[in-house]
Amino acid sequence: MKRKDKLNRREFLAGAAAGAAAVSFPYLVPSGALAARGRAGANERLTMAHIGVGGMGGSHLRDMVRRRDRGEVNIAAVCDADENRLAGAAKTAGAGVQPYRDYRYILERKDIDAVVIATPDHWHAVQMVHAAECGKHVYVEKPACCTIEEGKAMVAAARKNKVSVQVGSQGRSQPEAYLAHRYLVNGNIGHINRVDCFHYPSPADNNPVPDSEPPAELDWDLWLGPLRWRPYNKRYCHGVFRWVLESGGGQIRDRGAHVMSCAMWWMGADGTGPVTVEATGTAPTKGLWDSAILMEVTYTFKNPDWTMTWTQMPNDKLPKAEKRTGKEPGGRISRPGYGAIYRGDKGEFIHWGGDGGTWAEKKAREWKLPAGAKDVYKSPGHKEDWFKGIKTGAKTIMNIEAAVGVANLCVLGNVSFILGRKLHWEPVKQEIVGDEQARRMMGRPQRHPYHL
Amino acid sequence: MSISNLKEMSLAAGAVAVTAETAGAAKKKAVEELIANIKDKSDKVRAEGLLIASDVGAPAVKPLAKVMGDKDVEVMRAAKRALWKIVRRAGRPSARDERKAVAAELIGLLGDGQPTSVRREVLWMLSEIGGRESIKAIAALLSDKELREDARMVLQRIPGRQSLAALKAGLKAAPEDFKLNIAQSLRKRGVKVSGYPCVKLVPTKKTNVKPVK
Repeated sequence: MKRKDKLNRREFLAGAAAGAAAVSFPYLVPSGALAARGRAGANERLTMAHIGVGGMGGSHLRDMVRRRDRGEVNIAAVCDADENRLAGAAKTAGAGVQPYRDYRYILERKDIDAVVIATPDHWHAVQMVHAAECGKHVYVEKPACCTIEEGKAMVAAARKNKVSVQVGSQGRSQPEAYLAHRYLVNGNIGHINRVDCFHYPSPADNNPVPDSEPPAELDWDLWLGPLRWRPYNKRYCHGVFRWVLESGGGQIRDRGAHVMSCAMWWMGADGTGPVTVEATGTAPTKGLWDSAILMEVTYTFKNPDWTMTWTQMPNDKLPKAEKRTGKEPGGRISRPGYGAIYRGDKGEFIHWGGDGGTWAEKKAREWKLPAGAKDVYKSPGHKEDWFKGIKTGAKTIMNIEAAVGVANLCVLGNVSFILGRKLHWEPVKQEIVGDEQARRMMGRPQRHPYHL
Repeated sequence: MSISNLKEMSLAAGAVAVTAETAGAAKKKAVEELIANIKDKSDKVRAEGLLIASDVGAPAVKPLAKVMGDKDVEVMRAAKRALWKIVRRAGRPSARDERKAVAAELIGLLGDGQPTSVRREVLWMLSEIGGRESIKAIAALLSDKELREDARMVLQRIPGRQSLAALKAGLKAAPEDFKLNIAQSLRKRGVKVSGYPCVKLVPTKKTNVKPVK
């Protein structure tokens, strides 16, 4: 297993735990043991563990079970802070899969090559960094980070520990994303100087309830993890954590991490960032959720100069979805409520979705690549692209650097909204400048011992 | 000095006093209007309060904190949001006096006369706008069992030598069960700490769920 020489203290602890566990549970041989140091052999099965198995995490687990049944991977463990969800996942995964409440038991196991993290957003960075420090390859759900500081730590941990990280903005791997990308980079709408992302509003908490005791099956302390302590409230979890600024951040983070991911990739802007960010919006007036319901954010990029906007608008203002037969590469548009309009000096282009469904306008689908034109990377599938990264060391399509760049856009949009003022951003250093309060909000101290 | 000059000065002083009195009355009225809006049963009226809160500023801090103890959970939430709006406005660049005035009011709320939930929220407000003037009051809470973890994190966030010194002193004074927490903050601030190792990767929580056989 990788990085043996760096994990002395943890190895001691891990060795003790593994020894104890081995009495009752057979461990798998990691694929990395049969291949080059740090990389699984090309034909070896990776051994996976799933951290966070409800909602999207449940989808990942079911997908991985299908892959296991096809003989592509092993599944060693599942983990969740909710015992009911954990029991369901253990059943889904079947015999030979160990359930855990605490993900750190998984990180101790040397037979596990990689982890899929699909916990609430406020856990993404801490768990990804810890997994990398323990030598695990990581698939982590989007958005990558909740703060600028978390994003920097994620990039540093992936680089230092040489692990492959794929972030779950899977829109980049969709067939019509490839078609849109090559259409745009070949100048079909000319020079693009503006991208307007659109989305329907974040929901309001119309059924507010007072704080209460957490349900018996939920480890509230573990669910909160790095967040500052507060009493349990039903409106925090499960999936609705998205509408709380600290743990989710609203549509701009939930779907912005998809739609703006496509934009940054197609504009060739990965690794860059805006110089100013200015947001306005309407805040909820009741209930627990505090994300902006309607919102408008303007990101100004320099060298090259272009503008991106993110707008959460009323449903009746959204662009109309294209009519389809269902025979297109991406099929019918099932989620028309979000996407982006690309404005060039020779025309416009629109795509809908941006996540598991990414739908490109007809003209991009029908455009044929002429001889000598520029082709672009075509993902074999978001998980396949990750497996390729693990086995070859190739950069993943939604690598951690790109994903943090996109997540930072979402974070900065929310900080500007919260503070009610324009922010100035230094994209190379990744720092807010000239605003002490906003600078403090680039990080958020984390509760002991759940920290980066 | 002529009598006419004296008369003019006297009139001017009177005008200043009247203006100050008028301004004071206007501020008082604005606070009362804000609090009335925030305490209203209608969320639409409370929303109007949220819109004006940041303009009312420091004089509304203590009255809003009092409403944060309201039994109506929506009124309590509205008061908390209004107070945060004041904090976010006060922290803007080039508003030093306003920030200091709001921070001073917040520091006054850290005492044990306030409910723990209010003091916890106030600590986090100070994490955004508190300066060295707030360190002593925050550091005092490192010995409060219910608030010490928040106080520790807030000191970690406030830059400067004073907050760092408070954390170092806190490590010396802390009971054994809290030293690891403060050591965590000191490491984040770039200090080498021995004797209290990082335990972030040590698992502690066991499940009752059994594997499927």
